[in-house]
Amino acid sequence: MTAPATLDSTPDTSATDDGGRGNGRRLGLVAGAVAVVLALLLGYAGGLLTPRLTRPGDDSVEAGFARDMTAHHAQAVEMGLMAFQRATDPEVRSMGGDIATGQQGEIGTMQTWLRSWGLDPTGSQPRMAWMADGAGLVKNGLMPGMATPEEMAKLRDAQGREFDLLFLTMMINHHLGGIHMIDGVLDESDEPDVVRTAQIMKNTQQTDLTNLTNAKKRLGG
Amino acid sequence: MSISTPGGEQRRPTVVSTGKKPAAGRPASGAKAGSGKPAGTPRAGGGGKGPRKPITPVKVSQGRAKGPIILFVVVGLVAAGIIGVGAWAAFQGSKPWEERADAIDGIVNYREKDPELVKGSNHQPGKVNYTILPPVAGPHNQSWQNCMGDVYDAPIANEHAVHSLEHGAIWVTYRPDLAADQVSKLADKVRGNEKMLMSPFDGLDKPISLQAWGYQLKVDNADDSRIDEFIKTLRVNASIEGPTALCNQGITATGTTPRDGVQMPTQ
Repeated sequence: MTAPATLDSTPDTSATDDGGRGNGRRLGLVAGAVAVVLALLLGYAGGLLTPRLTRPGDDSVEAGFARDMTAHHAQAVEMGLMAFQRATDPEVRSMGGDIATGQQGEIGTMQTWLRSWGLDPTGSQPRMAWMADGAGLVKNGLMPGMATPEEMAKLRDAQGREFDLLFLTMMINHHLGGIHMIDGVLDESDEPDVVRTAQIMKNTQQTDLTNLTNAKKRLGG
Repeated sequence: MSISTPGGEQRRPTVVSTGKKPAAGRPASGAKAGSGKPAGTPRAGGGGKGPRKPITPVKVSQGRAKGPIILFVVVGLVAAGIIGVGAWAAFQGSKPWEERADAIDGIVNYREKDPELVKGSNHQPGKVNYTILPPVAGPHNQSWQNCMGDVYDAPIANEHAVHSLEHGAIWVTYRPDLAADQVSKLADKVRGNEKMLMSPFDGLDKPISLQAWGYQLKVDNADDSRIDEFIKTLRVNASIEGPTALCNQGITATGTTPRDGVQMPTQ
Protein backbone atom coordinates (compact mmCIF):
# COMPACT_ATOMS: atom_id res chain seq x y z
CA MET A 1 0.00 0.00 0.00
CA THR A 2 2.73 2.46 0.88
CA ALA A 3 5.04 1.31 -1.88
CA PRO A 4 3.23 3.08 -4.76
CA ALA A 5 3.46 6.34 -2.90
CA THR A 6 7.24 6.16 -2.53
CA LEU A 7 7.62 5.20 -6.19
CA ASP A 8 5.62 8.28 -7.22
CA SER A 9 7.72 10.58 -5.09
CA THR A 10 10.98 9.62 -6.83
CA PRO A 11 10.02 8.90 -10.42
CA ASP A 12 13.31 9.16 -12.32
CA THR A 13 15.86 7.20 -10.35
CA SER A 14 13.59 4.46 -9.10
CA ALA A 15 12.19 3.87 -12.58
CA THR A 16 15.61 3.29 -14.16
CA ASP A 17 16.72 1.28 -11.18
CA ASP A 18 13.67 -0.95 -11.28
CA GLY A 19 13.89 -1.29 -15.06
CA GLY A 20 17.44 -2.60 -14.95
CA ARG A 21 16.69 -4.95 -12.13
CA GLY A 22 13.43 -5.98 -13.83
CA ASN A 23 15.29 -7.05 -16.97
CA GLY A 24 17.70 -9.08 -14.92
CA ARG A 25 14.86 -10.69 -13.09
CA ARG A 26 12.99 -11.38 -16.30
CA LEU A 27 16.08 -13.02 -17.73
CA GLY A 28 16.36 -15.05 -14.56
CA LEU A 29 12.73 -16.06 -14.84
CA VAL A 30 13.17 -17.11 -18.46
CA ALA A 31 16.31 -19.04 -17.61
CA GLY A 32 14.48 -20.65 -14.72
CA ALA A 33 11.52 -21.55 -16.92
CA VAL A 34 13.81 -23.00 -19.57
CA ALA A 35 15.63 -24.96 -16.90
CA VAL A 36 12.35 -26.33 -15.55
CA VAL A 37 11.16 -27.27 -19.04
CA LEU A 38 14.50 -28.92 -19.84
CA ALA A 39 14.44 -30.78 -16.55
CA LEU A 40 10.89 -31.98 -17.23
CA LEU A 41 11.84 -33.08 -20.75
CA LEU A 42 14.90 -34.91 -19.46
CA GLY A 43 12.81 -36.58 -16.79
CA TYR A 44 10.20 -37.52 -19.37
CA ALA A 45 12.81 -38.95 -21.75
CA GLY A 46 14.42 -40.80 -18.87
CA GLY A 47 11.07 -42.19 -17.80
CA LEU A 48 10.34 -43.30 -21.35
CA LEU A 49 13.74 -44.91 -21.76
CA THR A 50 14.13 -46.57 -18.39
CA PRO A 51 11.74 -49.48 -19.10
CA ARG A 52 13.44 -49.93 -22.49
CA LEU A 53 16.89 -50.02 -21.01
CA THR A 54 15.98 -52.23 -18.06
CA ARG A 55 13.84 -54.76 -19.92
CA PRO A 56 15.43 -58.16 -20.71
CA GLY A 57 17.93 -57.98 -23.57
CA ASP A 58 18.62 -60.29 -26.49
CA ASP A 59 21.04 -62.50 -24.53
CA SER A 60 19.15 -62.41 -21.22
CA VAL A 61 18.06 -65.42 -19.18
CA GLU A 62 14.44 -64.40 -19.71
CA ALA A 63 14.68 -64.15 -23.50
CA GLY A 64 16.58 -67.45 -23.67
CA PHE A 65 13.96 -69.14 -21.54
CA ALA A 66 11.08 -67.71 -23.59
CA ARG A 67 12.62 -68.90 -26.87
CA ASP A 68 13.77 -72.31 -25.70
CA MET A 69 10.65 -73.11 -23.72
CA THR A 70 8.59 -72.18 -26.78
CA ALA A 71 10.44 -74.84 -28.80
CA HIS A 72 10.18 -77.32 -25.92
CA HIS A 73 6.46 -76.64 -25.49
CA ALA A 74 5.85 -76.94 -29.24
CA GLN A 75 6.85 -80.59 -29.13
CA ALA A 76 4.56 -81.23 -26.15
CA VAL A 77 1.75 -79.67 -28.20
CA GLU A 78 2.61 -82.01 -31.06
CA MET A 79 2.44 -85.09 -28.80
CA GLY A 80 -0.60 -83.81 -26.89
CA LEU A 81 -2.62 -83.24 -30.06
CA MET A 82 -1.70 -86.72 -31.27
CA ALA A 83 -2.98 -88.16 -27.99
CA PHE A 84 -6.12 -86.06 -28.16
CA GLN A 85 -6.78 -87.40 -31.64
CA ARG A 86 -5.62 -91.00 -31.36
CA ALA A 87 -5.43 -92.25 -27.76
CA THR A 88 -7.72 -95.12 -26.82
CA ASP A 89 -7.99 -94.41 -23.11
CA PRO A 90 -10.35 -91.48 -22.36
CA GLU A 91 -8.11 -90.06 -19.62
CA VAL A 92 -5.04 -90.14 -21.88
CA ARG A 93 -7.07 -88.44 -24.60
CA SER A 94 -8.24 -85.66 -22.30
CA MET A 95 -4.80 -85.16 -20.78
CA GLY A 96 -3.37 -84.86 -24.29
CA GLY A 97 -5.86 -82.13 -25.16
CA ASP A 98 -5.28 -80.37 -21.86
CA ILE A 99 -1.49 -80.36 -22.23
CA ALA A 100 -1.65 -79.27 -25.89
CA THR A 101 -3.99 -76.33 -25.36
CA GLY A 102 -2.33 -75.31 -22.08
CA GLN A 103 1.17 -75.27 -23.50
CA GLN A 104 0.09 -73.61 -26.75
CA GLY A 105 -1.40 -70.85 -24.59
CA GLU A 106 1.88 -70.52 -22.71
CA ILE A 107 3.73 -70.26 -26.04
CA GLY A 108 1.54 -67.24 -26.78
CA THR A 109 2.47 -65.69 -23.42
CA MET A 110 6.20 -66.23 -23.97
CA GLN A 111 6.09 -64.92 -27.54
CA THR A 112 4.25 -61.84 -26.31
CA TRP A 113 7.04 -61.19 -23.80
CA LEU A 114 9.60 -61.27 -26.59
CA ARG A 115 7.57 -58.91 -28.72
CA SER A 116 7.03 -56.48 -25.83
CA TRP A 117 10.76 -56.55 -25.11
CA GLY A 118 11.42 -55.67 -28.77
CA LEU A 119 13.17 -59.01 -29.39
CA ASP A 120 13.02 -61.56 -32.20
CA PRO A 121 11.53 -65.03 -31.62
CA THR A 122 14.98 -66.31 -32.67
CA GLY A 123 18.06 -65.67 -30.54
CA SER A 124 21.70 -65.48 -31.53
CA GLN A 125 22.88 -67.71 -28.67
CA PRO A 126 22.89 -71.52 -28.83
CA ARG A 127 19.97 -73.34 -27.24
CA MET A 128 20.09 -73.44 -23.42
CA ALA A 129 23.03 -70.99 -23.25
CA TRP A 130 21.01 -68.88 -20.83
CA MET A 131 21.08 -71.66 -18.21
CA ALA A 132 24.17 -72.46 -16.14
CA ASP A 133 25.78 -75.53 -17.78
CA GLY A 134 22.74 -75.58 -20.07
CA ALA A 135 24.52 -75.93 -23.41
CA GLY A 136 25.88 -79.32 -22.34
CA LEU A 137 22.34 -80.62 -21.86
CA VAL A 138 21.51 -80.20 -25.57
CA LYS A 139 21.86 -83.43 -27.53
CA ASN A 140 21.53 -83.38 -31.30
CA GLY A 141 19.81 -80.02 -31.05
CA LEU A 142 17.29 -81.39 -28.56
CA MET A 143 16.72 -79.85 -25.13
CA PRO A 144 16.19 -81.97 -21.98
CA GLY A 145 13.25 -84.35 -22.21
CA MET A 146 12.60 -83.77 -25.90
CA ALA A 147 11.87 -86.78 -28.10
CA THR A 148 14.18 -87.60 -31.00
CA PRO A 149 12.83 -87.62 -34.56
CA GLU A 150 12.97 -91.45 -34.39
CA GLU A 151 10.88 -91.52 -31.20
CA MET A 152 8.36 -89.15 -32.76
CA ALA A 153 8.14 -91.39 -35.84
CA LYS A 154 7.59 -94.37 -33.57
CA LEU A 155 4.77 -92.56 -31.78
CA ARG A 156 3.17 -91.69 -35.14
CA ASP A 157 3.22 -95.34 -36.11
CA ALA A 158 1.99 -96.73 -32.78
CA GLN A 159 -1.60 -97.89 -32.37
CA GLY A 160 -4.03 -98.68 -29.52
CA ARG A 161 -2.72 -99.36 -26.03
CA GLU A 162 0.86 -99.27 -27.34
CA PHE A 163 0.29 -95.68 -28.47
CA ASP A 164 -1.20 -94.69 -25.10
CA LEU A 165 1.72 -96.11 -23.14
CA LEU A 166 4.33 -94.66 -25.49
CA PHE A 167 2.69 -91.24 -25.25
CA LEU A 168 2.62 -91.42 -21.43
CA THR A 169 6.29 -92.43 -21.27
CA MET A 170 7.38 -89.72 -23.70
CA MET A 171 5.30 -87.00 -22.03
CA ILE A 172 6.64 -87.94 -18.58
CA ASN A 173 10.21 -87.53 -19.89
CA HIS A 174 9.23 -84.32 -21.63
CA HIS A 175 7.78 -82.82 -18.44
CA LEU A 176 10.81 -83.88 -16.36
CA GLY A 177 13.10 -82.05 -18.80
CA GLY A 178 10.74 -79.08 -18.89
CA ILE A 179 10.69 -78.77 -15.10
CA HIS A 180 14.50 -78.81 -15.10
CA MET A 181 14.50 -75.82 -17.47
CA ILE A 182 11.80 -74.05 -15.44
CA ASP A 183 13.95 -74.48 -12.31
CA GLY A 184 16.77 -72.86 -14.29
CA VAL A 185 14.79 -69.69 -14.91
CA LEU A 186 13.35 -69.66 -11.37
CA ASP A 187 16.94 -69.73 -10.04
CA GLU A 188 18.29 -67.03 -12.29
CA SER A 189 15.50 -64.54 -13.06
CA ASP A 190 13.85 -61.88 -10.92
CA GLU A 191 11.54 -60.57 -13.65
CA PRO A 192 8.20 -60.78 -11.78
CA ASP A 193 5.95 -61.88 -14.65
CA VAL A 194 8.47 -64.44 -15.90
CA VAL A 195 8.95 -65.92 -12.43
CA ARG A 196 5.20 -66.04 -11.80
CA THR A 197 4.45 -67.70 -15.15
CA ALA A 198 7.33 -70.15 -14.75
CA GLN A 199 6.03 -71.14 -11.31
CA ILE A 200 2.57 -71.79 -12.76
CA MET A 201 4.14 -73.90 -15.54
CA LYS A 202 5.98 -75.92 -12.91
CA ASN A 203 2.85 -76.45 -10.79
CA THR A 204 0.91 -77.62 -13.85
CA GLN A 205 3.60 -79.98 -15.07
CA GLN A 206 4.09 -81.48 -11.62
CA THR A 207 0.38 -82.19 -11.33
CA ASP A 208 0.46 -83.61 -14.87
CA LEU A 209 3.38 -85.84 -13.90
CA THR A 210 1.39 -87.42 -11.08
CA ASN A 211 -1.60 -88.06 -13.35
CA LEU A 212 0.51 -89.30 -16.26
CA THR A 213 2.40 -91.69 -13.96
CA ASN A 214 -0.83 -92.99 -12.40
CA ALA A 215 -2.39 -93.49 -15.83
CA LYS A 216 0.67 -95.38 -16.97
CA LYS A 217 0.40 -97.69 -13.92
CA ARG A 218 -3.32 -98.17 -14.51
CA LEU A 219 -2.68 -99.18 -18.13
CA GLY A 220 -0.02 -101.62 -16.94
CA GLY A 221 3.00 -99.78 -18.34
CA MET B 1 12.46 -10.55 3.17
CA SER B 2 11.03 -7.23 4.21
CA ILE B 3 10.67 -8.44 7.77
CA SER B 4 14.34 -9.36 8.06
CA THR B 5 15.35 -5.84 7.01
CA PRO B 6 13.03 -3.48 8.83
CA GLY B 7 15.23 -0.37 8.62
CA GLY B 8 16.61 -0.26 5.07
CA GLU B 9 14.79 0.74 1.86
CA GLN B 10 17.38 -0.96 -0.26
CA ARG B 11 17.09 -4.60 -1.08
CA ARG B 12 20.75 -5.38 -1.38
CA PRO B 13 21.38 -6.02 2.29
CA THR B 14 18.65 -8.65 2.30
CA VAL B 15 20.25 -10.35 -0.70
CA VAL B 16 23.58 -10.34 1.07
CA SER B 17 22.04 -11.67 4.24
CA THR B 18 20.41 -14.58 2.38
CA GLY B 19 23.77 -15.14 0.76
CA LYS B 20 25.26 -15.38 4.22
CA LYS B 21 23.00 -18.17 5.32
CA PRO B 22 24.34 -20.86 3.01
CA ALA B 23 27.78 -19.43 3.65
CA ALA B 24 27.23 -19.92 7.37
CA GLY B 25 27.19 -23.60 6.67
CA ARG B 26 30.81 -23.31 5.67
CA PRO B 27 32.29 -24.17 9.02
CA ALA B 28 30.80 -27.60 8.64
CA SER B 29 32.37 -28.14 5.23
CA GLY B 30 35.58 -26.68 6.52
CA ALA B 31 35.51 -29.16 9.38
CA LYS B 32 35.02 -31.98 6.90
CA ALA B 33 37.97 -30.90 4.85
CA GLY B 34 39.97 -30.50 8.05
CA SER B 35 39.23 -34.01 9.25
CA GLY B 36 40.07 -35.46 5.87
CA LYS B 37 43.24 -33.51 5.15
CA PRO B 38 45.55 -32.62 7.98
CA ALA B 39 47.58 -30.42 5.62
CA GLY B 40 44.62 -28.19 4.90
CA THR B 41 43.83 -27.56 8.56
CA PRO B 42 45.46 -24.15 8.97
CA ARG B 43 43.07 -22.49 6.51
CA ALA B 44 39.96 -24.54 7.02
CA GLY B 45 40.46 -24.60 10.79
CA GLY B 46 40.74 -20.84 10.90
CA GLY B 47 37.56 -20.43 8.91
CA GLY B 48 35.79 -23.07 10.92
CA LYS B 49 36.58 -21.56 14.28
CA GLY B 50 35.39 -18.12 13.34
CA PRO B 51 31.78 -18.39 12.19
CA ARG B 52 31.10 -14.85 13.45
CA LYS B 53 33.40 -13.25 10.87
CA PRO B 54 31.19 -11.93 8.06
CA ILE B 55 33.98 -10.91 5.66
CA THR B 56 34.51 -14.13 3.72
CA PRO B 57 30.81 -14.93 3.01
CA VAL B 58 30.35 -11.60 1.20
CA LYS B 59 32.99 -12.57 -1.38
CA VAL B 60 31.27 -15.90 -2.01
CA SER B 61 28.06 -14.19 -3.07
CA GLN B 62 29.81 -12.86 -6.18
CA GLY B 63 30.59 -16.33 -7.56
CA ARG B 64 27.00 -17.34 -6.92
CA ALA B 65 25.91 -16.42 -10.46
CA LYS B 66 28.41 -18.62 -12.34
CA GLY B 67 28.54 -21.69 -10.11
CA PRO B 68 24.97 -22.97 -10.51
CA ILE B 69 24.94 -22.22 -14.24
CA ILE B 70 28.11 -24.21 -14.84
CA LEU B 71 26.80 -26.98 -12.62
CA PHE B 72 23.46 -26.96 -14.43
CA VAL B 73 25.11 -27.03 -17.86
CA VAL B 74 27.48 -29.85 -16.87
CA VAL B 75 24.77 -31.96 -15.26
CA GLY B 76 22.43 -31.22 -18.16
CA LEU B 77 25.01 -32.23 -20.75
CA VAL B 78 25.89 -35.42 -18.90
CA ALA B 79 22.21 -36.33 -18.50
CA ALA B 80 21.46 -35.50 -22.13
CA GLY B 81 24.49 -37.56 -23.19
CA ILE B 82 23.45 -40.60 -21.19
CA ILE B 83 19.88 -40.38 -22.42
CA GLY B 84 21.02 -39.76 -26.00
CA VAL B 85 23.28 -42.79 -26.04
CA GLY B 86 20.57 -44.90 -24.45
CA ALA B 87 18.00 -43.69 -26.93
CA TRP B 88 20.30 -44.40 -29.85
CA ALA B 89 21.06 -47.90 -28.61
CA ALA B 90 17.38 -48.62 -27.99
CA PHE B 91 16.49 -47.26 -31.41
CA GLN B 92 19.10 -49.36 -33.18
CA GLY B 93 18.08 -52.48 -31.28
CA SER B 94 14.41 -52.03 -32.01
CA LYS B 95 14.71 -51.50 -35.76
CA PRO B 96 11.77 -53.31 -37.32
CA TRP B 97 12.64 -56.74 -38.74
CA GLU B 98 11.61 -55.59 -42.24
CA GLU B 99 14.42 -53.03 -42.24
CA ARG B 100 16.92 -55.54 -40.92
CA ALA B 101 15.81 -58.05 -43.57
CA ASP B 102 16.34 -55.56 -46.37
CA ALA B 103 19.83 -54.91 -45.02
CA ILE B 104 20.85 -58.55 -45.64
CA ASP B 105 23.09 -58.59 -48.68
CA GLY B 106 21.58 -60.51 -51.60
CA ILE B 107 18.09 -61.04 -50.09
CA VAL B 108 15.18 -60.89 -52.50
CA ASN B 109 12.10 -59.23 -51.07
CA TYR B 110 9.01 -60.54 -52.90
CA ARG B 111 6.73 -58.56 -50.62
CA GLU B 112 7.92 -55.59 -52.64
CA LYS B 113 8.51 -57.33 -55.98
CA ASP B 114 5.24 -59.27 -56.07
CA PRO B 115 2.85 -58.08 -53.36
CA GLU B 116 -0.10 -59.90 -54.92
CA LEU B 117 1.63 -63.29 -54.66
CA VAL B 118 2.73 -62.71 -51.08
CA LYS B 119 -0.73 -61.54 -50.06
CA GLY B 120 -2.54 -64.60 -51.47
CA SER B 121 -2.60 -67.56 -49.15
CA ASN B 122 -5.71 -69.55 -50.02
CA HIS B 123 -5.84 -73.34 -49.92
CA GLN B 124 -5.78 -74.96 -53.34
CA PRO B 125 -5.93 -78.72 -53.89
CA GLY B 126 -3.52 -80.65 -56.09
CA LYS B 127 -0.55 -79.39 -58.01
CA VAL B 128 0.22 -75.66 -57.89
CA ASN B 129 2.46 -73.93 -60.43
CA TYR B 130 4.98 -71.65 -58.78
CA THR B 131 6.94 -69.21 -60.92
CA ILE B 132 9.61 -68.61 -58.28
CA LEU B 133 11.55 -71.73 -57.33
CA PRO B 134 11.89 -72.76 -54.61
CA PRO B 135 8.56 -71.07 -53.95
CA VAL B 136 8.33 -68.29 -51.35
CA ALA B 137 4.58 -67.66 -51.17
CA GLY B 138 1.27 -68.21 -52.91
CA PRO B 139 -1.60 -70.68 -52.82
CA HIS B 140 -0.89 -74.07 -51.27
CA ASN B 141 -2.43 -77.35 -50.14
CA GLN B 142 -4.46 -77.43 -46.92
CA SER B 143 -1.85 -79.66 -45.27
CA TRP B 144 1.46 -78.15 -44.30
CA GLN B 145 4.75 -79.93 -44.16
CA ASN B 146 5.78 -80.71 -40.58
CA CYS B 147 8.24 -77.96 -39.63
CA MET B 148 9.30 -78.94 -36.13
CA GLY B 149 12.99 -78.80 -37.01
CA ASP B 150 12.40 -81.64 -39.44
CA VAL B 151 15.38 -82.52 -41.62
CA TYR B 152 14.07 -84.33 -44.71
CA ASP B 153 16.58 -86.39 -46.68
CA ALA B 154 14.56 -86.27 -49.92
CA PRO B 155 12.67 -83.55 -51.79
CA ILE B 156 9.23 -82.57 -50.45
CA ALA B 157 6.13 -81.11 -52.08
CA ASN B 158 6.18 -77.34 -52.65
CA GLU B 159 2.44 -77.26 -52.03
CA HIS B 160 2.98 -78.29 -48.37
CA ALA B 161 6.24 -76.41 -47.79
CA VAL B 162 4.68 -73.10 -48.85
CA HIS B 163 1.99 -73.66 -46.23
CA SER B 164 4.78 -74.09 -43.65
CA LEU B 165 6.28 -70.78 -44.79
CA GLU B 166 2.91 -69.15 -44.24
CA HIS B 167 3.02 -70.42 -40.64
CA GLY B 168 6.36 -68.68 -40.08
CA ALA B 169 8.82 -71.45 -40.91
CA ILE B 170 12.20 -71.02 -42.55
CA TRP B 171 12.67 -73.60 -45.31
CA VAL B 172 16.30 -74.45 -45.95
CA THR B 173 16.86 -76.07 -49.35
CA TYR B 174 20.09 -77.30 -50.88
CA ARG B 175 21.23 -78.73 -54.18
CA PRO B 176 21.32 -82.55 -53.92
CA ASP B 177 25.03 -82.54 -54.85
CA LEU B 178 25.99 -80.38 -51.83
CA ALA B 179 28.89 -81.91 -49.86
CA ALA B 180 27.85 -84.00 -46.86
CA ASP B 181 29.69 -81.80 -44.32
CA GLN B 182 27.88 -78.75 -45.71
CA VAL B 183 24.55 -80.55 -45.43
CA SER B 184 25.24 -81.52 -41.82
CA LYS B 185 26.16 -77.90 -40.97
CA LEU B 186 22.80 -76.81 -42.32
CA ALA B 187 21.03 -79.62 -40.46
CA ASP B 188 22.58 -78.42 -37.17
CA LYS B 189 20.80 -75.10 -37.65
CA VAL B 190 17.47 -76.84 -38.20
CA ARG B 191 17.28 -79.93 -36.00
CA GLY B 192 15.32 -79.42 -32.77
CA ASN B 193 14.19 -75.93 -33.79
CA GLU B 194 10.50 -75.63 -34.45
CA LYS B 195 9.47 -73.31 -37.30
CA MET B 196 12.37 -74.74 -39.33
CA LEU B 197 12.52 -77.42 -42.00
CA MET B 198 15.09 -78.55 -44.51
CA SER B 199 15.11 -80.60 -47.67
CA PRO B 200 17.12 -81.10 -50.86
CA PHE B 201 15.73 -79.31 -53.92
CA ASP B 202 16.36 -80.35 -57.50
CA GLY B 203 17.51 -77.79 -60.06
CA LEU B 204 18.75 -75.05 -57.72
CA ASP B 205 20.99 -72.49 -59.43
CA LYS B 206 22.96 -72.01 -56.18
CA PRO B 207 24.11 -74.62 -53.64
CA ILE B 208 21.83 -73.31 -50.87
CA SER B 209 18.56 -71.39 -50.93
CA LEU B 210 16.67 -70.11 -47.88
CA GLN B 211 12.97 -69.32 -47.97
CA ALA B 212 10.71 -67.39 -45.60
CA TRP B 213 7.22 -66.18 -46.51
CA GLY B 214 7.94 -63.55 -49.19
CA TYR B 215 11.74 -63.68 -48.89
CA GLN B 216 14.56 -65.66 -50.47
CA LEU B 217 18.32 -65.72 -50.04
CA LYS B 218 20.68 -67.86 -52.11
CA VAL B 219 24.21 -68.54 -50.87
CA ASP B 220 27.15 -70.72 -51.90
CA ASN B 221 28.36 -71.96 -48.54
CA ALA B 222 26.86 -73.28 -45.30
CA ASP B 223 29.37 -71.14 -43.36
CA ASP B 224 27.93 -67.93 -44.81
CA SER B 225 26.97 -65.72 -41.85
CA ARG B 226 23.94 -64.41 -43.73
CA ILE B 227 22.23 -67.77 -43.14
CA ASP B 228 21.98 -67.14 -39.38
CA GLU B 229 21.05 -63.53 -40.05
CA PHE B 230 18.22 -64.62 -42.35
CA ILE B 231 16.94 -67.13 -39.80
CA LYS B 232 17.12 -64.73 -36.84
CA THR B 233 15.44 -61.91 -38.72
CA LEU B 234 12.70 -63.79 -40.53
CA ARG B 235 11.85 -66.96 -38.58
CA VAL B 236 8.29 -66.42 -37.24
CA ASN B 237 8.58 -62.66 -37.97
CA ALA B 238 7.86 -63.16 -41.68
CA SER B 239 4.77 -65.23 -40.89
CA ILE B 240 1.49 -63.63 -41.76
CA GLU B 241 -0.22 -65.80 -39.13
CA GLY B 242 1.87 -65.11 -36.04
CA PRO B 243 3.90 -67.17 -33.60
CA THR B 244 1.18 -69.62 -32.58
CA ALA B 245 0.48 -71.02 -36.06
CA LEU B 246 1.22 -74.75 -35.87
CA CYS B 247 4.23 -76.48 -37.37
CA ASN B 248 3.24 -79.89 -35.98
CA GLN B 249 0.37 -82.11 -37.21
CA GLY B 250 1.74 -81.67 -40.71
CA ILE B 251 2.90 -84.02 -43.45
CA THR B 252 6.01 -85.88 -42.35
CA ALA B 253 6.51 -87.89 -45.55
CA THR B 254 8.83 -86.88 -48.37
CA GLY B 255 8.01 -86.88 -52.08
CA THR B 256 7.17 -83.99 -54.39
CA THR B 257 3.62 -85.07 -55.19
CA PRO B 258 1.18 -82.97 -53.15
CA ARG B 259 -1.00 -85.01 -50.81
CA ASP B 260 -3.98 -82.72 -50.65
CA GLY B 261 -7.04 -84.37 -49.18
CA VAL B 262 -5.03 -86.94 -47.27
CA GLN B 263 -5.88 -86.90 -43.58
CA MET B 264 -3.19 -85.20 -41.47
CA PRO B 265 -0.83 -86.47 -40.33
CA THR B 266 0.25 -88.85 -43.02
CA GLN B 267 2.48 -91.72 -41.93
